[in-house]
Amino acid sequence: MYSGAGGGDGSMFAGGGFMPSQSQANDFGGGGGRRSGSQNSGLLPLTAKMISQAIQKPSDENFYVDGVDVNNVTLVGMVHDKEERATDVSFQLDDTTGQIEVKRWSVLLTLLAHHSPWNFTYVRVHGHLRSFQGKRNIVAFSVRPITDFNELTFHFLEVIYVHLSNIRAQGGTAAAPTHAATAGVGPHGIATIATNPSHYNQYLPPASAMVGGNVDECQKRVHMIFEEPESLLIEQGLHIDQVAQRMVGYSRQQVKEAIEFLVNEGFVYSTIDDDHYKSTNA
Amino acid sequence: MTDTCSPRPMVNAGLLKKYLGRRVTTVVKVFRSDGADLVGQAPDGTSITVRKAASSSITLSHFVEVVGVVEGESALRAEICTNFGDAFDMVTYNQLCQLANCDNRDCFV
Repeated sequence: MYSGAGGGDGSMFAGGGFMPSQSQANDFGGGGGRRSGSQNSGLLPLTAKMISQAIQKPSDENFYVDGVDVNNVTLVGMVHDKEERATDVSFQLDDTTGQIEVKRWSVLLTLLAHHSPWNFTYVRVHGHLRSFQGKRNIVAFSVRPITDFNELTFHFLEVIYVHLSNIRAQGGTAAAPTHAATAGVGPHGIATIATNPSHYNQYLPPASAMVGGNVDECQKRVHMIFEEPESLLIEQGLHIDQVAQRMVGYSRQQVKEAIEFLVNEGFVYSTIDDDHYKSTNA
Repeated sequence: MTDTCSPRPMVNAGLLKKYLGRRVTTVVKVFRSDGADLVGQAPDGTSITVRKAASSSITLSHFVEVVGVVEGESALRAEICTNFGDAFDMVTYNQLCQLANCDNRDCFV
């Protein structure tokens, strides 16, 4: 629901004159702008614990949780240590797993004064995860008090559901070895998840948009291996054999053909020699 | 800033013994209150005692979320009490407690 407004939000928070450090703000603005152009701008339900463990690539400002690019997040928790200033309202959100700082710029100060949450009340926060001076915090664009506390239960169940979906989507690659004996389970698992519209997978949108039905299972899985944050970090990319090793149930030749296909489609490129490839997204 | 040093995991009565002396979160349906102490039904149906519950947030037969330190297998010392009203699904919350304390712990604690 926020995908359309993603770019606007980024620039609104990043480019505004409220930032203590303009250079930091500009850096972030650049990141935000680039990000809004990427395919994935979904909304991830998370916990403070998951945010504290999110991986951040040195090359950009993006965060990754369960291998998925984090853009907008939603959390539910209790408000602590609220501070109201002329330019913003900030507080610590305690969601049972830990605390994270949430900041809400006062675009409409008079409105905020009425809606700003009290300490020790539960709220749902929608916002943008970012790192500022080495600290992770959330720039919120919505902070709403919770009136039906079943929403609390719902939120954490949704966190578990999305976490498991993402893990299992990767599991097509990561968990493949355990499924080695029963070839078909892995691909089947992916197929099920792929048809689930509520599933957040950074791979799926570009695949369907750019190459239609031409991507077969092997190509999909090879591509996913190249898109993993760890793979993106390796300078020379992955060796064909490294990929083949993880593609249990597929021959080296099939993997090679899949890579050739991905090269032709512009998803990966060869690096130091004809056996090393890297994602063009890196 | 994220601070995950002092989590307060969501638990039912059965899980209390795993967290002796530590802060947890649970929801009780209030049976009776005796001054500052209250007795209520935990998500898994067992009754537990909550000491020093702030009386202002307690209404009989309502649901109260208690954040507190575990003092025994069925006793908590309350730090924060939040009235969850009279319509809260304890069965689902109980299942959440179980899910959050087994395979999916890495999301939580």
